[in-house]
Amino acid sequence: MKASYRLFIGLALFYFILAVIYWLVGGEAVGMSALGLSGGLAALVGFYLWFSAKRIGGVLPEDRIEGEIADGAGELGFYSPHSWWPLPVALSACAAGLGLIVGWWLTFIAIGALLTSILGFVLEYEKPTSSAHH
Amino acid sequence: MTTVAHPPRIDLGAKTAAPSQKGSQFVKWITSTDHKTIGYMYLITSFSWFLIGGILALFLRAELTRPGLQFWSNEQYNQIFTMHGTIMLLLFATPLFVGFTNVIMPLQIGAADVAFPRLNMMSYWLYLFGGIMAFAGFLSPGGAASFGWTAYAPLASSQFSPGIGGDLWVMGLALSGLGTILSGVNFITTIFTMRAPGMTMFRMSIFCWNALLTSILVLLAFPPLAAAFLGLESDRLFGSHIFDPANGGAMLWQHLFWFFGHPEVYILAIPFFGIASEILPVFSRKPIFGYKGLIAATIAISALSVSVWAHHMFASGQVLLPFFSFMTFLIGVPTGVKFFNWIGTMWRGSVTFETPMLWVLGFLITFLFGGLTGIILASPPLDFAVSASYFVVAHFHYVLFGTVVFTMFGGFYFWWPKMTGRMLNERLGKIHFWMTFFGFHLTFLIQHWLGIKGFPRRYADYLPTDGFTFMNEVSTVGAALLAASMIPFMINIWITRKSPMVGVDDPWGYGASLEWATSCPPPRHNFTSMPRIRSERPAFDLHHPHIKTEGH
Repeated sequence: MKASYRLFIGLALFYFILAVIYWLVGGEAVGMSALGLSGGLAALVGFYLWFSAKRIGGVLPEDRIEGEIADGAGELGFYSPHSWWPLPVALSACAAGLGLIVGWWLTFIAIGALLTSILGFVLEYEKPTSSAHH
Repeated sequence: MTTVAHPPRIDLGAKTAAPSQKGSQFVKWITSTDHKTIGYMYLITSFSWFLIGGILALFLRAELTRPGLQFWSNEQYNQIFTMHGTIMLLLFATPLFVGFTNVIMPLQIGAADVAFPRLNMMSYWLYLFGGIMAFAGFLSPGGAASFGWTAYAPLASSQFSPGIGGDLWVMGLALSGLGTILSGVNFITTIFTMRAPGMTMFRMSIFCWNALLTSILVLLAFPPLAAAFLGLESDRLFGSHIFDPANGGAMLWQHLFWFFGHPEVYILAIPFFGIASEILPVFSRKPIFGYKGLIAATIAISALSVSVWAHHMFASGQVLLPFFSFMTFLIGVPTGVKFFNWIGTMWRGSVTFETPMLWVLGFLITFLFGGLTGIILASPPLDFAVSASYFVVAHFHYVLFGTVVFTMFGGFYFWWPKMTGRMLNERLGKIHFWMTFFGFHLTFLIQHWLGIKGFPRRYADYLPTDGFTFMNEVSTVGAALLAASMIPFMINIWITRKSPMVGVDDPWGYGASLEWATSCPPPRHNFTSMPRIRSERPAFDLHHPHIKTEGH
């Protein structure tokens, strides 16, 4: 994790410094905002990675110089074997965009389809029993 | 990712018993969550766009062969060069990075898949539908977008470019850009969280490092582009005044566009530098020279690439020439370091010239030319003289074709056995290479002189008295040879489609990174067993245990 957050925090510092230099040498507003926001984006990711590393604590198997493949044994997580949902999500998102050009009616229909398919996508592997409150 | 208490079990027995009809194969592909299948879909789709963009390029060359308008009207010519640029950059080269990274990166870090497999598929669909939408402008009454792939304001406004072709272009690219951003998120997460034990960041292959840095650049560059596109569309549809020249909109567009546009060039270049860095050590029988230096150079290039955008705007007279010129020259330093490392890898190695290696050597030569003219263009006084001429066209074709296309074919020949389990034919591969190499240089080398003599880019016509005719003829002949060079490649794919399976993990014999430690093609979740990872060459250590790699 160390290399990961160092990379992003380094980028953030670089862009912040660059934004200041650009301002000092007389740069315009768009570039300063863009560089500053780039720094902000990198800082956001860097902070999250640093924070997560603190929370996890210790060294992860993939960061261990002497890491053995067996160290990563156990459940890797759940992988969707196949899924129909990405197709309708992307298709309705594109239809919503197309609707702006050919007519609002399509956008309205597509937004309905988009919300439905996003629900389908997100809830595909949710089971009522596992999410019920007790 | 969603986790459930009882993941559904896949019944392998039932699966093998199912009939393998074309329809079920099709459904399997369009519902796939396998990073390799999605990667193949990306590679096939982006290569198809490459062919379409190439045909558009031939349309342009045909028109320019002789003075006068033979084939197209000015407006049609504008549409063709706009779509040629758009397709080649955003529908071919960028998704090609996503395709290669999808197929190769999880294998190289020892992961079972990418972090978000369904999101991965969604990115692909956004790219496919967005691309079709942008291209569909050709079917509209006014034709496709014709304001150049840079869509400068106010030319791209509804006043100067009416018709839905432009709207389809903007919305299509915004959607396809969304897919690219999601891929970037997916790749960064995968690299940070799914590496195999022992695969530290500084044992990752150069390709994975480059994919990581490219993904970071995607996150920095594509959101400004999306913002600019949505602003432009709001101007076109709702009459807002975001890019109205009356309040500085022309410069605002250029800044936003090039704040995307320059990192975009590196998004296209860096992953393909990665492919070159994978191929060179294998055919030099040496580890990559200066592994950490190469990574440091790539980080430096990525970081700097965000700070040089306005060198595309020197001629506007409204940017800080010294700042952007200096930063641009600065990028030349890490690029030089990379060349040093690539040459150092070959130095005193046992170099053999299999097809993938030939393509990488072609890349080194071509990209070096492009880099040198880049230094020329980074100097404002020289840039003013050749700005918006064919010199610039020649420069960026050397840079981008040299990098993307040469290493793409290198990667295809190199990883073909990994992807399909079959080798491509070497002899046809070499014919393919030499035709592409000579075709390319014949087409574009002469365009430097054409530009210096004053032929402007994006013009459909010139006068016989301009003295451009002969050079344009040479260039068109080169383009024809370049187009014909695709034929041996197609024949190659066709004749080797049923050739015997390679049957070994590493058909090249000296493969270094982890993808060569699994079968060709790899199983559904990539590895049945994995070697211990102690260096950046785990597969090499596995197959050649008597030679020790210097560990990190």
